[in-house]
Amino acid sequence: MNGPMTRALLAVGLALAVAFALMCAISAEPVQALRQLLTGALPEPHWSADTGWTLRRLTRFGAVIEKTITLTLLGLAVMFGFRARQFSIGADGQFFLSALAAVAVSVWLPPLGGLELLLAGAAAVAVGFVWGLLPGLLKAEFDANEIVTTLMLNVVAVQAFRYIVTHGFNDPAAGFLVTPTVPAGATLAAIVPRTQISAFVLAVPLATLAAAWLLRRTTLGYEIRVVGDAPAFARQAGLPVKRAVALSMALGGAFAGLAGLHASNALLHRLPADLQPGIGFEGLVVALLARNQPAAVPVAALLYAFLEAGAQAMERSTDVSREMVLVIQALIVLFVVAERLWPAGWVRRKAAI
Amino acid sequence: MHVDIQSLSKRYANGVLACDAVSLQLQPGEVHAILGENGAGKSSLMKMLYGLVEPDSGSIVVQGQPRRFDSPLDAMAAGIGLVPQHLQLLPSLTVAENLVLGAEPVRGPLFDARRARAAASQAAAAHGLAIDVDAAVGTLSAGQQQRVAILKALHRGARLLLLDEPTALLAPAEAEALFEHLRTLVAGGASVVLISHKMAEVQQAADRYTVLRAGRVVGGGRAAGLSAEHLATLMMGRPLAPLRSTRVDARGRPPLLAVRELTLLRPGARPDLAALSLDVAGGEILGIAGVEGNGQQPLAEVLGGLREASSGSLQLAGRTLAGLSVRQRRQAGLGSVSEDRLHDGIAPALSVAENAVALDYNRPPQSRRGVLDVAHIARRARDWVARYGVVCRDERQATGALSGGNMQKVVLARELEAAPRCLVASQPTRGVDIGAARALRAELLALRDRGAAVLLFSADLDELLALADRIAVLFEGRIVGHFAADSVAPRMLGRYMTGSLQDRLAQARLDAPFTAPFTAMEAP
Repeated sequence: MNGPMTRALLAVGLALAVAFALMCAISAEPVQALRQLLTGALPEPHWSADTGWTLRRLTRFGAVIEKTITLTLLGLAVMFGFRARQFSIGADGQFFLSALAAVAVSVWLPPLGGLELLLAGAAAVAVGFVWGLLPGLLKAEFDANEIVTTLMLNVVAVQAFRYIVTHGFNDPAAGFLVTPTVPAGATLAAIVPRTQISAFVLAVPLATLAAAWLLRRTTLGYEIRVVGDAPAFARQAGLPVKRAVALSMALGGAFAGLAGLHASNALLHRLPADLQPGIGFEGLVVALLARNQPAAVPVAALLYAFLEAGAQAMERSTDVSREMVLVIQALIVLFVVAERLWPAGWVRRKAAI
Repeated sequence: MHVDIQSLSKRYANGVLACDAVSLQLQPGEVHAILGENGAGKSSLMKMLYGLVEPDSGSIVVQGQPRRFDSPLDAMAAGIGLVPQHLQLLPSLTVAENLVLGAEPVRGPLFDARRARAAASQAAAAHGLAIDVDAAVGTLSAGQQQRVAILKALHRGARLLLLDEPTALLAPAEAEALFEHLRTLVAGGASVVLISHKMAEVQQAADRYTVLRAGRVVGGGRAAGLSAEHLATLMMGRPLAPLRSTRVDARGRPPLLAVRELTLLRPGARPDLAALSLDVAGGEILGIAGVEGNGQQPLAEVLGGLREASSGSLQLAGRTLAGLSVRQRRQAGLGSVSEDRLHDGIAPALSVAENAVALDYNRPPQSRRGVLDVAHIARRARDWVARYGVVCRDERQATGALSGGNMQKVVLARELEAAPRCLVASQPTRGVDIGAARALRAELLALRDRGAAVLLFSADLDELLALADRIAVLFEGRIVGHFAADSVAPRMLGRYMTGSLQDRLAQARLDAPFTAPFTAMEAP
């Protein structure tokens, strides 16, 4: 009864309780606000005499699933570095450059009957891998702090993306600064009406399984885990510590590349120059929520996306302001992440109540 | 101080009954030793006495008054002070600052350094402990730091001192000085509880003793005239067969490990290692004695390939080691048991099986083309767990959750199964209880008898004298004595370890002469 699952649920419950207390303080309709937060992301069954049962708000629910896909991949990306004890936060830059690479390959290739999608994916993964390998090598060879290098490389990547889209790789007919559109043959079609949910949803289980397999069943994954758990021991035992450090960050980059591919070829089809950075940091939060356990990453991603959509619904339909929504979201993350700091006995006592 | 411990019991939330109706009386003016293996309940008893753990039942009566300690502050107020094994001092602060920490004299909102100094000098003088109150604690020796910790407890008004394995890090001479201080303290009416599992210490320092086993008091009495066999039997619940080993005289044999003129410089300070030469032949154990911090760790690290020597040569079976990576050295037949197993001996969060495979996970049949054979790894780990007597739930248990002795068995199983030609073992039995330590020592002797060269670093002179064939003493990065292990007394080794005797020409080569008393010179 004191397993990690129980503790995580307890943390979410406590966070919601605090959030509710906040809502009571600032809102005239706290119950309605809480209801929106918890159910606003769900599709709503609707009955009418003409059409029978239909689901409303599918677009909104679709956005939750789309976000879950992106966050699962980015969460796995961040997790790889964390497992080798590398606080690599370069997922943002990897995401931007690989999305751009996927668009470029899709646009430049002639129609190949679906093969161009695979090639675009390969390009995205390769670019993510290289953009992750770079700070990995800097850390392994020169002991350059990975927090600093990945943060700086994020800036380089995002500004390079803007420069390229502004000064060359854009569609003059669009009327605003945006890349050319990915041709239909290289896109993934939606499989649920009124949403952007595509076959890419399969990437959630597949990528999670692949990440778990890499970590648990390969020698490289073993090296990453030993280096992350006890770096001094890894050196003492003669493990290739530098290689494990560099490759952990590069492998993470590959997963961020998949998230980039999803954004470019399934969600957006063309990338605006002012695409908002920061999604990589949401991936970081997901990895933290999942305690760096691959199997928990999709669950954490879904929770995060679900609460985010619920919070937006709350903002739209109640008097709770956008700022407060962000505060409540942050509180939930804080509670869940800080849960491991609670004294074990305290949690046990709480759980017994 | 009179302390009457009446039937204290403690069961932890995980179901372990750490103390089962433990009763004992502490008299004013006595040193009372508490002995027992790891897990016998010594620490739990101390924690209850110091207010860190709340007893389930029983009572503590101090000077006729029943007391309840909710925190160490209550215990301190009742006159009980604890000196933990790992001293909790701040190395960058001075002795005086450390001493008053927690009850700092202030002038207005500011720390009153002058009064702190005065209080510290006064306390040192009152308790007869000579110490420089202005020295930064980090610059003091282990023995002096311990004196600061004791003084700190006394300064807070302790009349009962709880000392948790106080000699673990001390040289013999420092330990003797400590015991003398304890004598003066108890002569003034204070009481001392000494936790130990070294029998010699109990005989030397304690007035009375109590033995705990599995949470219960199983014996006790006056320490005078106590026999080590009797104590061991009490602690383990069965007689401990002595470890039989015959000394090997390997002089004249070719060296398997040859270290020549090894120097490791440190910028702006005395070198870590200074022109050190030693040999270990196949089938012998060379013991390295020395007070911690005199070059043991740098030497082990240079041998293992973690640090590169400034000059000098290293050869294993004729092959030069310099320039080889850690993995290449291990493939050449070098094994290593490191000093701090939680830090660099195991990966604590990983399973026993994953720790056991750390040296050869990258070779078939453990893995093929980068993919681990998890079933094979688990099977082999189960086999090792059974053969080395590792007590664990199963091979999937996190290694960090095992007891120190069982962790070390995992380490030793891994290193020995790699069949090293030369094993560098640092403090292999530190923190391991006597039953497990005996098994580990027997493994080292068996490895030697299979023809491997063993370089043994140990702070425990009894262990060195029991296992080693030759002993070299390391002082300030140099070898200052070289002895046949069966012809040197611990007291003599102690004088070399503290540098009061030095043989400037000593080398631990196989063809080097042993240090004779008359070649040794008193240090300037």
